[in-house]
Amino acid sequence: MVAGLSYREKSLYASLVAELVVYGPYFFFHQQNSVNKVAGMIVGIIALQAVLQLIIALWTRSRVTDERDRLIELRGYRAGYLTIAALMVVGLGMLWFHATFGHLHIESRMVGLHFLSVFFGMLVIADIVKTAAQIVAYRRSL
Amino acid sequence: MPAIRNQLKELRAARNMTQQELADRIGLTRQTVIAIEQDKYSPSLETAFKVALVLGVPLEHCFQYDPKGRR
Repeated sequence: MVAGLSYREKSLYASLVAELVVYGPYFFFHQQNSVNKVAGMIVGIIALQAVLQLIIALWTRSRVTDERDRLIELRGYRAGYLTIAALMVVGLGMLWFHATFGHLHIESRMVGLHFLSVFFGMLVIADIVKTAAQIVAYRRSL
Repeated sequence: MPAIRNQLKELRAARNMTQQELADRIGLTRQTVIAIEQDKYSPSLETAFKVALVLGVPLEHCFQYDPKGRR
């Protein structure tokens, strides 16, 4: 099955795996936010992506990309943008709600870290949606 | 039925050309040639002209437009 995939498709599957492996534990198992954890994840995703993409590049003979690949890439970016825009609206709405009704009890020194975590989470979700949307587009009609 | 249909598979087979050979000559991936043949992807006008040129037939012999077909 893998042999039937184009270079871009293999690359996308590798990206999705890397994103889920690196980001998944942070959002599902982490206990305490910290700048070091976020920085560690960024370094981790870059390193893992570099290794996986290198393996795929060496393993794939034809690394041609064409107009369909570019169209699918654009569709992925659109899905990612719509996701981050929607999350931003929801996030700002929740911020307004908590600020108005006073339910946000965070120590002042933790506010920056809290926002870093929330915005980083939005970026991560949008990135995963972008990659997943591209994989789906390869499987469906355009 | 799709709005744009094609005879790519038949024309290619008549010339004993593989999907990979056609893809290489047009500058596409084999997966895109497969998607075009299965009516899952409508190529750009430029690519459609290249296909017709490589197969040595007029454009309308390769691709037909059906206004009642789905987009």
